[in-house]
Amino acid sequence: MPRPFPGVRPIGKPFWLMLPGVAWLLVFGLAPVAFMVAVSFWRSSIFGTTPDFVFDSYARIIEEPLYLDLIVKTLRMAALTTLLSLLVSYPLAWFLATRRGAWKAVWLVAVFVPFWISYVVRTFVWLPILGRNGLINQSLMALGITDAPVEWLLYNEGAVYVGLVYVYTLFMTLPIYLALGRIDPKLLEAAADLGARPWQTFRHVVLPLSWPGVLSGCIMVFLLAVSAYVTPRLLGGTSGIMLGNMIASQFLSNNNWAMGAALSVTLVGIVGALLLVTGRWIGIAEVFTGGKK
Amino acid sequence: MAAEAVAVSIRKVGKRFGNVAALDDVSLDIRRGEFFSLLGPSGCGKTTLLRSIGGFEAPTEGDILIEGRSVLHLAPYERPTNMIFQHLALFPHLGVRENVGFGLRMKGADRAASARRVEEALRLVRLEDYGERRVDQLSGGQRQRVAMARALVNDPAVLLLDEPLGALDLQLRLQMQEELRRLQRQLGATFVFVTHDQGEAMAMSDRIAVMNAGRLQQVGTPAEIYERPANRFVATFVGHANMIEARLTGRAAEGLAEAEGPAGLRLRGIAPPHGATDGGVLAVLRYEKLRILPHGADGEGIGATVVEKTYMGSSLRFACRTGAGATMTADTPNAMPQRDIGEGDMVRLAWSPEDVVLLTD
Ligand SMILES: Nc1ncnc2c1ncn2[C@@H]1O[C@H](COP(=O)(O)OP(=O)(O)OP(=O)(O)O)[C@@H](O)[C@H]1O
Ligand SMILES: [Mg+2]
Repeated sequence: MPRPFPGVRPIGKPFWLMLPGVAWLLVFGLAPVAFMVAVSFWRSSIFGTTPDFVFDSYARIIEEPLYLDLIVKTLRMAALTTLLSLLVSYPLAWFLATRRGAWKAVWLVAVFVPFWISYVVRTFVWLPILGRNGLINQSLMALGITDAPVEWLLYNEGAVYVGLVYVYTLFMTLPIYLALGRIDPKLLEAAADLGARPWQTFRHVVLPLSWPGVLSGCIMVFLLAVSAYVTPRLLGGTSGIMLGNMIASQFLSNNNWAMGAALSVTLVGIVGALLLVTGRWIGIAEVFTGGKK
Repeated sequence: MAAEAVAVSIRKVGKRFGNVAALDDVSLDIRRGEFFSLLGPSGCGKTTLLRSIGGFEAPTEGDILIEGRSVLHLAPYERPTNMIFQHLALFPHLGVRENVGFGLRMKGADRAASARRVEEALRLVRLEDYGERRVDQLSGGQRQRVAMARALVNDPAVLLLDEPLGALDLQLRLQMQEELRRLQRQLGATFVFVTHDQGEAMAMSDRIAVMNAGRLQQVGTPAEIYERPANRFVATFVGHANMIEARLTGRAAEGLAEAEGPAGLRLRGIAPPHGATDGGVLAVLRYEKLRILPHGADGEGIGATVVEKTYMGSSLRFACRTGAGATMTADTPNAMPQRDIGEGDMVRLAWSPEDVVLLTD
């Protein structure tokens, strides 16, 4: 087995050094998941949820189209959010990676500083922009393009995409930017020297070499979007609702913990399976090891 | 020189980076099928000139012609040149075969034909069994040869090489020098080779251009550069020489002239052009052209004492002081009779006038 740090000889086996990490993983990682799985098998009635081991909640998820439809819709929305983020992020990352000198720092700050602000706030800002009396409607009417406010800007699926892409785009931009930054500029010259036109250089050198960044960005954004709660809540209205909202309401208003837990477990299961399948397909190890085999 | 024999023509090319003149009024013609080296110290503008030919730098002045056509308006991918980069710049995401085939693929060449040419190129650089490898699974010398194949497979009118052997150890370096020379002869291609290693330039080149501080110092065959350095810079940069400040005292027959060095040292050597000097000259005498003879040998040469003897393996170096007080250094083979000469010994120093070059600069 290759050692992680070639040239550094391990001194005995200081397994106790791993204890804090392992403990953390058990207490804050595995325990909540185990608890959630357990709760999903509890029995729920109008009086609340009681510990048990029944498959009621899972049965309902399979039987009632309401749940399955929402799961499919959530996966679809997460996928589309990921795609849109990629389309926004790749050019942005390329732009950042190709800046030089003092301006580079300025651009980086301009892009990344907004992300220090809570994503809740950054979601809220879309209300005065997309709203009935918001910036866009005011502008449209001031310019005489429309007489009355456009109603479909907010409280639907489209508004959720706007919010999600805006809030999570950094998680796509950053890994792509880093991957692009690692590409040796000499390779681009070499490609040009060998007769590759600019788009061919992009297609055959830049894109494949930034692929690990693209993959990790996609996985991040997909994971974040599939579990979105705040954005659909604030911007989505009733038609833009996602599974996260349904799960929350099971816990908070329906007092049906078992159902909430079962929905969570189902989502985690599906996403995990998806990751495994795509992992097989595109070599997920590359994503986590930075492309080194 | 017939015009069609010129592969690359550099005409009064200048290149400034801000205040730095990386190239200053450089003009030279590189002949077709020639192994041409650009030689000079670090920072003298070799890479800049090579990159200007390849299209990666735009000269601020002058013109560059390839096969008689100005190429200044052409992008690198439109020029009939290929470059081997100092650090090779092999594509890490592609295997050996894909690296070599990259150029053909970009030009949309026929698949079967390119596959054949790739195999041919791999055979040319003796890597026919390595096509399947990833480039990070190769040794330095093998990577070197992949870079060579990747450029040569495109059949460039001019191959540009930027110190491609710089990163290799000495043994491999010598081996690759031979390999490059073999390839160049076999293909009859025009090679423009950048190096700061004079030995490398001497051993490989048909002609050498010596550069310093962005300016061309001399263009010539290795022998011309070595035997007839055009100025003080070339004389010091290439090989080792005694440099003696002297005054021209008179001209002799057959292009020779008389000069007088310090402490009354009389020198006869190849004369500088007429009118090039007000009298001050620099006498250049290569170490190995200065013969050192044991004391008591017949009356040839001048008397001197050995001040320092340095053992250099295949040769010996003697620093001597002449009777009149001038210091001169001689290299001799590590053999009899010089081997037995020691420090403090009396010797005689002799040289032929044809081996002394009198420079005005
Ligand atoms: N992109 C650049 N920007 C500013 N100055 C540059 C640039 N490229 C080269 N120079 C300068 O131009 C001069 C010539 O550089 P060049 O790379 O051609 O030297 P070189 O002869 O190839 O040296 P070496 O043997 O070290 O590779 C140097 O003074 C260098 O600092
Ligand atoms: Mg250089």
